[in-house]
Amino acid sequence: MSDSVLAIENLVVALPAWSDRKHAVSNVSLEIGTKEIVCVVGESGSGKSIMGKAILGLLPRPHVRTAGGRIMFEGRDLLSLSDEEMRKLRGGRIAMIFQEPMTALNPLMKVGRQIDEVLEVHTDLNPAARRARVLELVNDVHLPDPERMIASYPHQLSGGQRQRIVIAMALALEPALIIADEPTTALDVTTQAQILHLMKELQRAHGTSVLFITHDFGVVAEIADRVAVMRHGEIVEAGPADHVLRDPKADYTKALVAAVPGLKPRLKDAQAQPPLLVVRDLEKTYVSAGGFGAAARRVKAVNKVSLDLGRQSSLALVGESGSGKSTLARCIIGLETPESGEILIDGARISGLSRDQLRPYRRQMQMVFQDPFASLNPRQRVGDIIAIGPMIQGVAREQALAEARELLSLVGLKPEAVDRYPHEFSGGQRQRIGIARALAVKPKLIVADEPVSALDVSVQKQVLELLNALRQTFGLSMLFITHDLRVAATVCEDIAIMQRGEIVERGPTARIFADPQHPYTKSLLDAVPGKEWISSLG
Amino acid sequence: MKSFWNRFLGNPRVLIGMIWLAVVVLVALFANLLAPRDPFAIAGVPFMRPGGAFLLGTDSLGRDVMAGLMHGARTTLLIAVLSTLAAVAFGTLVGAVAGYYGGLVDDILMRTTEFFQTIPSFLFAIVLIAVLSPSAINLVIAISVVSWPPITRVVRAEVLSVKSREFVQAAVVAGQRDSAILLTQVLPNTLSPLIVTGSLLVATAILIESALSFLGLGAPNQMSWGFMIGAGRSFLRDAWWLVTVPGIAILLTVLSINLVGEGLNDALNPRLADL
Repeated sequence: MSDSVLAIENLVVALPAWSDRKHAVSNVSLEIGTKEIVCVVGESGSGKSIMGKAILGLLPRPHVRTAGGRIMFEGRDLLSLSDEEMRKLRGGRIAMIFQEPMTALNPLMKVGRQIDEVLEVHTDLNPAARRARVLELVNDVHLPDPERMIASYPHQLSGGQRQRIVIAMALALEPALIIADEPTTALDVTTQAQILHLMKELQRAHGTSVLFITHDFGVVAEIADRVAVMRHGEIVEAGPADHVLRDPKADYTKALVAAVPGLKPRLKDAQAQPPLLVVRDLEKTYVSAGGFGAAARRVKAVNKVSLDLGRQSSLALVGESGSGKSTLARCIIGLETPESGEILIDGARISGLSRDQLRPYRRQMQMVFQDPFASLNPRQRVGDIIAIGPMIQGVAREQALAEARELLSLVGLKPEAVDRYPHEFSGGQRQRIGIARALAVKPKLIVADEPVSALDVSVQKQVLELLNALRQTFGLSMLFITHDLRVAATVCEDIAIMQRGEIVERGPTARIFADPQHPYTKSLLDAVPGKEWISSLG
Repeated sequence: MKSFWNRFLGNPRVLIGMIWLAVVVLVALFANLLAPRDPFAIAGVPFMRPGGAFLLGTDSLGRDVMAGLMHGARTTLLIAVLSTLAAVAFGTLVGAVAGYYGGLVDDILMRTTEFFQTIPSFLFAIVLIAVLSPSAINLVIAISVVSWPPITRVVRAEVLSVKSREFVQAAVVAGQRDSAILLTQVLPNTLSPLIVTGSLLVATAILIESALSFLGLGAPNQMSWGFMIGAGRSFLRDAWWLVTVPGIAILLTVLSINLVGEGLNDALNPRLADL
């Protein structure tokens, strides 16, 4: 291909001696043509991000370094350039968009100034011309009211707005190539859809090439022209997006495609028993402290919410971040105190109880947390982590540990794991430990707060299957909080859509998917990445 | 990833520091065997130069400097370690309670801590000794009273960040009591910075103890390095070794503790050290 912008030839990136494999990237060749979006797909640890960083010379040297191959960009081998030449190239001809826009922006600098700085360093424009260009860029990424926007600090913007600013920065110098490392993973589904749309539009308008790194085949279906699938540092399959998505050749690609949660709604079993969990008119307001003359801000996180959940059934609470779904879950589990309203579990009122009074009810409901890396105490053995609930309820330590072993084999881990520490496990395995902990007291209700959103798609599928199987074995009810309708559809028979602290629509999953009533539900459904492709898979 | 001990002992600076500290600790432990006589006893002619009958010479009253150094190591180390332990225990308690409960409790405890921090610590220690009268136990009290505030601040900051982590919420959901959460979930995760700050505090304690002894406010009838420097300072031009020898001992010991403390920090926070 003669019109390629970037050509990676036999790239090898070596890892330090103590790592579990020798090369992060071994012998990878990849070309990106002009005006082309190439997606690199793989699980975490596949070496896809390291490859992106190698192109920009951002590897954490000296431990991780390139050990062979060439990266040709505009006729030059990037690996042979000096630091000074690389610095001119970065931000200029090649730009990068990071996963987490909050950390990519300087929190102490107005965003307009941050875009301006890129222009100041790389161009000779005078301040007035730079300002005009900044406004034009902010306008290009469809941010409302550019004048006000550029005078804001990053913390005053939403996640989606911040990512737009980062994209504006990346576009500032009209680069030939943009490397985007999971730019939408930290965002809500609806925001993700908008950002993907924006990137595609801008890529067409500016004729930029994009190297897009992701783990989600749904996103690939939305945006990619060509796809390269990476595993253990090697490319296992590459080709035009249509071919790879509809007719994957490699077994690994097939597995990844199969792991994308489908849009097939679960059906509901009829039941006549009284509900297990009842929430009536629950209200929770957050008051952020004022001070220094600023007025205190009141946010109604949960506004008169009522819902009920039957025995052995599951309900998904779906909404964007800030919709109050997590607050509602935390009120139910007793981590937050609602101002008014009632929570009944199995007919007993648990709202308004103190922590001591609540202790007996802990046996009936437990929680699975979002972040498998933060939710396990790094200084405790896995056995102690799981056994803590039963021990508090009065079970002897020996017996609690024996039960922990059984639970570990139930969630697909070895019973010997009780003697190990959390850092020895991967994200998916840690989430299994978190699930085992929740099950240890044999609860009737599990509240799961985004339990799979921190996991790769393929691991996500395994954890969801596990939750499903456990629901059957233990006869659990589940309140499943998620921002992803695809996930909600695979796990839950019922869906409640939350927006701004209120439930705007509630019904069986099948009905919501076939005939959404509320405009917000419709927009959520439209935002599912790769929707058409997923439906076409059947 | 290399293990903690690999990273810690593989660091040459740590190794040097550890070797010197091991020597000092051994000498302090076996001072009675190595120099069985009372270090205050007159052993020979005054002002004998080092290298003669006495390896490090004698002082103005004919006392053996070597014996003084050995017994001094014992006093100095004992007081420094005890006062640090007391400061760490008290500081941790205050910091943990302030950080965990927040609100009014935090305000009261931290304003009190700041009150102690605003008083110049060495002057405060002098005043305390003057009020309490000089003795070994009062030295420990004075040194720990002036050195707990930094520990409190470190522990409070760590507790603040750890208590918002999800595993603490998981413990709440499991029904654990506050005191148990603080002891089993939160505090174990604040250990690394605590160990580092604590180890460096020993060095500061040695310096305060030596300075107090130099001023004659040290434990009476107990040989210590600071006392030796204080006693020898008027003969600096005639008998340089009286001040130099214990001075170098203090310098090396404080330096070693700092090296080891820095090494602990690098080994406990590997990401700060290399990547």
